[in-house]
Amino acid sequence: MDMAEDRKWGMVVDIDRCTGCQACVIACQTENNILLSTEDIVQQSRSMVWMRIERYWEGEFPDIKARFIPIMCQHCENAPCEPVCPVYATYHNNEGLNVQVYNRCVGTRYCANNCPYSARVFNYWERNTAAPFMDLVPPAQRVAEPMNEYLNPDVTVRTKGIMEKCTFCVQRIHKVSLDAKARGEDIKDGDVQPACVQACPTGALVFGDLNSPSSKASKMSKDERGYHLLEDLGTAPSVTYLKKVDPQHAGTPSRTH
Amino acid sequence: MEVSRRDFIKITGASAAGAVLFNGCQVPEREMVLESPVRIPEDTINSFENWYASVCRQCGAGCGILVRVVEGRAKKIEGNPDHPLNQGKLCARGEAGLQALYHPDRIRTPLRRSGPRGSGQYQVITWDEAIAELVSRLDDQAKQSSADTVVIATEPTHGLSAHILNTFARNYGATLMAHEPLEHTALYAAFKNLFGQERAPHFDIQRAASVLSFGANFLEPWLSQVNYSRQYGEFRQGGRSRGHLVQVEPRLSMTAANADDWVPINPGTDGVLAMAIAHVLITERLADATAVQAMTGGAGADALAAFRPEEAEKITGVKVDKIKELARGLAAKSPSLVIGGSGPAGHTNGLFNITAIYALNFLLGNIGKSGGVQFNPAPPTPELAANLPATPMRTWGQLASRIQNKQPKPVNLLLVHNANPLYSLPPTLGFGNGLKNIAVIVSFSSFMDETTAMADLILPDHSYLESWGEDSPDPGVGYQAVGLQQPTVEPSYSTRSFMDVILALAKGLGEKTRSGLPWDDYKGALEDIGKKLFALNRGSVRAPDFASFWHGALQRGGWWDTQSSPTLPNPRPPALSRQMSLPGFEGSDTEYPFYLHVYASNSLYDGRGAHLPWLQMTPDPMTTVSWQTWVEINPKTASQMGFKEGDIVIVESPAGKLEVPVYVYPAIPPNVVAIPTGQGHSSMGRYGERRGANPFLILSSKTEESTGAMAWGATRVRISKTGKSYRLPKLEGSVLAVEPDDYKVVEITR
Repeated sequence: MDMAEDRKWGMVVDIDRCTGCQACVIACQTENNILLSTEDIVQQSRSMVWMRIERYWEGEFPDIKARFIPIMCQHCENAPCEPVCPVYATYHNNEGLNVQVYNRCVGTRYCANNCPYSARVFNYWERNTAAPFMDLVPPAQRVAEPMNEYLNPDVTVRTKGIMEKCTFCVQRIHKVSLDAKARGEDIKDGDVQPACVQACPTGALVFGDLNSPSSKASKMSKDERGYHLLEDLGTAPSVTYLKKVDPQHAGTPSRTH
Repeated sequence: MEVSRRDFIKITGASAAGAVLFNGCQVPEREMVLESPVRIPEDTINSFENWYASVCRQCGAGCGILVRVVEGRAKKIEGNPDHPLNQGKLCARGEAGLQALYHPDRIRTPLRRSGPRGSGQYQVITWDEAIAELVSRLDDQAKQSSADTVVIATEPTHGLSAHILNTFARNYGATLMAHEPLEHTALYAAFKNLFGQERAPHFDIQRAASVLSFGANFLEPWLSQVNYSRQYGEFRQGGRSRGHLVQVEPRLSMTAANADDWVPINPGTDGVLAMAIAHVLITERLADATAVQAMTGGAGADALAAFRPEEAEKITGVKVDKIKELARGLAAKSPSLVIGGSGPAGHTNGLFNITAIYALNFLLGNIGKSGGVQFNPAPPTPELAANLPATPMRTWGQLASRIQNKQPKPVNLLLVHNANPLYSLPPTLGFGNGLKNIAVIVSFSSFMDETTAMADLILPDHSYLESWGEDSPDPGVGYQAVGLQQPTVEPSYSTRSFMDVILALAKGLGEKTRSGLPWDDYKGALEDIGKKLFALNRGSVRAPDFASFWHGALQRGGWWDTQSSPTLPNPRPPALSRQMSLPGFEGSDTEYPFYLHVYASNSLYDGRGAHLPWLQMTPDPMTTVSWQTWVEINPKTASQMGFKEGDIVIVESPAGKLEVPVYVYPAIPPNVVAIPTGQGHSSMGRYGERRGANPFLILSSKTEESTGAMAWGATRVRISKTGKSYRLPKLEGSVLAVEPDDYKVVEITR
C-alpha cells in the first residue's frame, strides 16, 4: 500500500441528518463479509456489527424524543486497544487508521475489553466451510451456499478466534490509492467512500482526509456543532459528530449526546 | 507506527532465509512463512470488476443501482449516482438484494405438484412442459368455460410490464388484479381528486422551510424512502435555513423521532385535525386568499364550522393551542409543505383524511412551486405510461366470495406473481378458505411463500438482478425519467423472466391473445421502447444511431430529460368537504380497549423481505429488535397490567388472536398498542418462516368507505397474559439507561 506520510483518514457524522434508517449497517455487512448475526447470536448480545446505530430516549411521554447515533470504530489516535494486544495484532498506521491484523490475532480479546466504544466484535463461531471441524458448527451459523457467492474477494473472511472491527473500508482506500498511483495522480476528496458513507441516503456520513484543509471532512470536523464521543477519556477519535439541532430545547443543556 | 518488512522479520526473530537455517529440519522450506503479509504487497491486484447499472426491485420506488460483478458473481449493490431519483444513495433493503439472488431456498426449476396441495411435494419438469401445460389450460378455460374464470394476481406495477399484462389480460379476457398489502389506493384517489393527476406528485422536501406530515413515514419505506431521505438531509443541513418538521401520528415512528415536534393524535382523526388547521388558517387570514375563495365557495371559515379547533380537540385529542400553533407555524415559514401517508390512509375514512391533509397545500399556496407539491409529467410513450394500480381490498373480498360460492362464475385458474395474498389479506375476507375451489393455482415466485406453497404449478421467475425491465419512478422527480433494468449476472438456475413467460403464453394462445404483443421476449419489447426514446431526440443520452443510444442508456442506467415539464397545468383549488367523516373500528372500546396501530417494518416492509437474513438481522430503528415481532405498550399501561419486556401476551381482536412478546415503548399513548408487519410467515424459506407473528391475521376486513381500500388501522384489541416469556433479540442492552442524577445509590440522613 502506498503510504502517504501526511494523509489522515477521518469521518464526520452529522446527527442532525441521520434518521436511523440502517442503510449504513447493511451496506457494511455486504461489503465486509461479516458473519450473519442469527437470532441466537443477537440474544447473546454478540451481534457481529461493525457499524451500529444506538437509539437514546430523552424525556417522557408525551414530551419524548429519540436520538440516533451511528457508531463504528473511532480509529482513535490514542487508541486504548492498541497497547494492550500481547501479539501486536492492532496498530496505528501512518494514514490514521487503526489496523487489525487478522492473521496475528490470537483471540485474547483484551482490545475489545479496553475499547470504550464497544467497536470491536469477536468471532466466537466458525463459518469457514473449509474448516475440518465444520460438523461441530450449528447449521444455522454456517454460510448456506450459494450465499458464499456474494463474498467480497477484497476482504478476508475471518475465522473463529479472530477480532474484527470497522476498517474504514481499507480495501477501498487501498484500491483507490493504487488506481490513483497507476494514473500518476493524487486521490481527490470524495474518491474514497467507505460502504456506509456511500449508502447513507441523507448524507449524514462524510469521509475524507482530515489533514487536507480543502477536504469536506476536514472542514466539517471543525463545525461548531462538532464533538467527540467520550471526549474526556482522551482517546482522540478520528470521528467527529455534529450535534442534533433541537429547536424545542434550544438553550437548555443537553442531557445526552 | 510503521513497520517495514525488514523490521518485522527482526522482531519475529527469524534470521535471513537460506538453506543453513533449515538444515536438518523435517519441514520443507517452502512451507515456512517468514512474514505474514501485514501490508499487502503493492503488486497485489484488486479483483477485476465490472459495474452494471440496473433498477432495484426491493420496493416500488425504482431507485437506480450499480452492481459490482467479479468473475460473474454479483458482489455489491450500490446506488447509481446518475439516477435522478436516488442520486447514488440506497436503503437497507436495496443493499440486501444480493441475498435475493444468492439464496439457498430459491426455487430452481419449474415444478409440478406431486402430492396433496400444501404438502410441499413437487416434481421437477422442464420449461417446455410447464409452458405447454399452462397454454393448454388457458386454452381450455377460454374454450370451455370462459376466459374470466382465469384470475391473474400480481403486484401493482406501471410501464411496459403493466402494458403487457393489461394487454394480455384484455385480449384473453382474464380478470387482472394487483395486490398491495398496505395499499396506496386512498392516496392515489386523493391525488386524482385534488390534483387531477394519475401519478403521485413530487414532494420538494429539500426546499421546504417547513413540513407537516400526517402519518407519512417518508424516512421509512413509504413511496420513495431514499429520495425523501436524501432530500431530508438537505432540508436539515443543506446550507439553507434549517427546515422544521412536525409529525402527527398516534405512535412515535422513526420518522417522528426525527421530527422537531411529534404530535400524538387519536387514530383516524387526522382529517379532522387538517380541517381544523384549515379553519385557523382561514380565520386568521394566513391562507392564500384566492384559494380560500375557491375552496369555501366564498363562505370563508363558516364553511368549516364543523371543524372549529374546539370541536377538533374533542375528536382528535390535540389541544386547541396546539392546533393554532401548527397552523401559525405553517404560515410563518414559507414554503410550507403538508403530506399525509399510511397512518391516516388506512382507516374507514381514509380518503376523507388524505384529501383534507393534501388540500392544505392549496391554502398554503405551494402548488407547483419550489418547496411544495410539484407534479410529474407522464412518461414519454403510451407503453411507459401504462398503469396497473392496486386492486382495493373490497374487490379482493368480492373475489373471495366468488371463489367460495362459485357465483357468478367460478375461478378455475389462478396465476400469482409477486403477490402473497394468503399472507397479507385478512383471513376474515375468506380468500384462503376458497382456494380449494380453484382447480389450478400457478405461481411464478422464486420462493416458497404461503401462496406459492398452495400452487399446483410453479414457473419460477428470475431474480431482479438477472432480469430485464424498466421503471419510470412514481413518484417521480418532476421530469421524465426512465430507469433501465438489465441482467447483471447470468441466471443461476433454470428460471425464466415472468414477462418472457407471459409473452410465450400469448404466442402459444394465438392471434387474438397475441394482438399488440408481437415480441418473442421482454428484451425485444424493451428495445422497441428504447427506439421510441431514441426517436424523441432529447434527454440525457444522445447518439448518432440506436445501437449506440441503447448501449449508452443501459450503461448509465436509464434515460431522463431534465427539460421535460409536467404535462398538465397546475390544478385549481378544490372545494373543501364540509362533512366530517370519523373513523370506524372493529371491536367496541369496552371489550377491546386498545387501538391496534399496525406499521410497516423498516427492514421487512410488508413481509416481502422476511426471507432475507440481512433484513432479519437489521435492528428496528426504534426498538433495536431483530428476527422477531413485538407489541409496543406504553410504560404506564404495561406497569398497570403487570407486563414487562419479553412477556408473551395474547393480542386479540374480533378477528383473531396473536401471541407476541411485549416491548415497553416509551413513545406511544396509553390506549394504543403497535405491532410491525413482516414476520409470522408459515412458509418463506429457512430464514423467514415460523418466526414472529403476522398482524394481518387479526385485522378486520373493514374497508375505506369510498375506495374500498384496506383499513389496517380499524382494528381494536385486548391484551391478556400467557405466563410465558421470550428473550427478545435486540441490539440495545437490557439495563435501562438512567441519568446519574436520577439514581440514588445512598440516601444520606442526618
